[in-house]
Amino acid sequence: MRQTLAVWSILALCVCSSPAQTADSSDSPETVKALLQEVRDLKARVAALEAKQSQSEPHKEESQKQQQPESSPLASVQAATQPVSEPLGQSVNPEHQLGISPGIRMAGFGAVSYKVADAHPPEAGQVGFRNSAANSFAVGDVDLFLTSNFTSRIMVLSELVFSETSNQEFEVDVERFLLKYDFRNYLKLSFGRYHTATSYYNSVFHHGQWLQTAVDRPLVVEFADHGGLLPSQAAGVSMTGEVPSGQLGLNYVFEYGSSNTHRPNLLNPTVAEIEENNGQATTLGLFVKPEWLHGLQIGGSLYHDRINPTGIPFHIGQTIGSAHLVYVTPRFEFLNEAFLIRHQVQETGQDFNTPAFYSLISEKFAEKWRPFLRYQYVNSTGSPIFPDVGLRHGPTAGLRYDYNDYVALKVQYDRTFRRLLPTFNDLQMQLAFRF
Amino acid sequence: MMKRYGIVIVACICMLLLMMGATVFGASEEDDVAVIVNPENPIGSMTSAELRKIFSGERTSWNSNISVFLVVRAPRAREREVLLSRILKMTEPEYKQYWVKKVYNGEVSREPLTLLSNGMQLEAVRAEKGAIALISLQDVHQGVKVIRVDGRMPGAAGYPLH
Repeated sequence: MRQTLAVWSILALCVCSSPAQTADSSDSPETVKALLQEVRDLKARVAALEAKQSQSEPHKEESQKQQQPESSPLASVQAATQPVSEPLGQSVNPEHQLGISPGIRMAGFGAVSYKVADAHPPEAGQVGFRNSAANSFAVGDVDLFLTSNFTSRIMVLSELVFSETSNQEFEVDVERFLLKYDFRNYLKLSFGRYHTATSYYNSVFHHGQWLQTAVDRPLVVEFADHGGLLPSQAAGVSMTGEVPSGQLGLNYVFEYGSSNTHRPNLLNPTVAEIEENNGQATTLGLFVKPEWLHGLQIGGSLYHDRINPTGIPFHIGQTIGSAHLVYVTPRFEFLNEAFLIRHQVQETGQDFNTPAFYSLISEKFAEKWRPFLRYQYVNSTGSPIFPDVGLRHGPTAGLRYDYNDYVALKVQYDRTFRRLLPTFNDLQMQLAFRF
Repeated sequence: MMKRYGIVIVACICMLLLMMGATVFGASEEDDVAVIVNPENPIGSMTSAELRKIFSGERTSWNSNISVFLVVRAPRAREREVLLSRILKMTEPEYKQYWVKKVYNGEVSREPLTLLSNGMQLEAVRAEKGAIALISLQDVHQGVKVIRVDGRMPGAAGYPLH
């Protein structure tokens, strides 16, 4: 009987204590250990903060010591919704409180790649791969990304790239250098050197190869100094922002600047680069990011400038139209982009159209693996700017493995069909990382 | 002897059932995660879609011409789990990669400020006009403003951040 009573007593105690356990289910040794560690960390931080504040703003220390009256959670919601009488606002900057002093913040991206190809004759080496070599290693682009905040609205962004040549030497290039001012959601201004909005890919993926799923960029959106077809950089002013459109999520981008695009010959490394000597370039783009399907973006852009290529005795009007439909979530990526590059020789009135597109689909599985498929197509018929391109198209298949948050291993196979030239295959492996 | 064992077993089963019941039905309003802003921010409510746009860095200014200042908890905190699972629908590595890309594209100037405790979150929101944070309802105190999400205050039935 006594034992029975004891059991019922324990049972009653458990019933009484169970809601409390529900409200705070942090009784496990691991949780207690973690909480103790957090308390120690907080104590250390508070001590550091107090020391710092007492040095910089001794008069504020006293007011901050005044503790807020505590209240129950439900009552506090009512109280919290009422503005308090004490002056708030930006009197104290949390960044300063937490010891994050203003200055230059730096991040880096790099990659080591290996490529083997069976092209006959071999193509010119790009992005650090050696000319005329059936296989070679390359470091490619070493990318230093620097940012600095002046205020919550004004910042400087800089992307310095140490780019490996086919002679395995490095050239330094300031790829992006921008003073950015976010006035409102509908007006964000940038002044300086930017990647043009001639394509979605150029706006979203820059020189950090770790950021893109595939080993390399599709040819049409490859950087011009690596053989790409679009003027990928310019210096001038860029503005972007939201257009009031409800759930449609309409955005605009406008750029006005100048550039001097130069691109190497894809087939023959001994042929001099084409210097386009571009005039002032204008880009206007519109895209929608509907609220009802997060990750979807549909849009397009129109670019126009006038070029006077070195060695070509004509003035050429260059107009590039692009359209994109992309759906990107953390797990799924579906990129589709089409282009029409039009070169109009002003002296003769001749038009040369170069249509191009690429499509890439990938899906992540098991958290670390991401297989991808890509198809790309470029068809240049007679354009004096792209004498080496001709018709090129073909599929790509690859696999990306994210070892951790910083390192990814990629393997990619390409098959490229060319007009009047033999089809070739290449296999690339890349260890891409950020630091 | 067998009868005593029987009583003990029945008692244990009852105890387990009661604890499970308390866990299920005891998910009180205090488990809700509140969205807090600085009292000077005129915003009083927002939809789940707007909340996602704010915490994904797609909207960088409040309507009142104040820059959005994102404050989040460090990994393994409940508020962080709610942010990732209910609002952004991302895993922790995906979240980190997302912000690396976002900053690298120049769309935002920096990642959200990550803090170790709700007390630090409260201080940050009190201090910064444009700040917004997620905080467990039981840790909400004076000096911040709790806003409605999809027209509901935390603690109300159907509140989405639970």
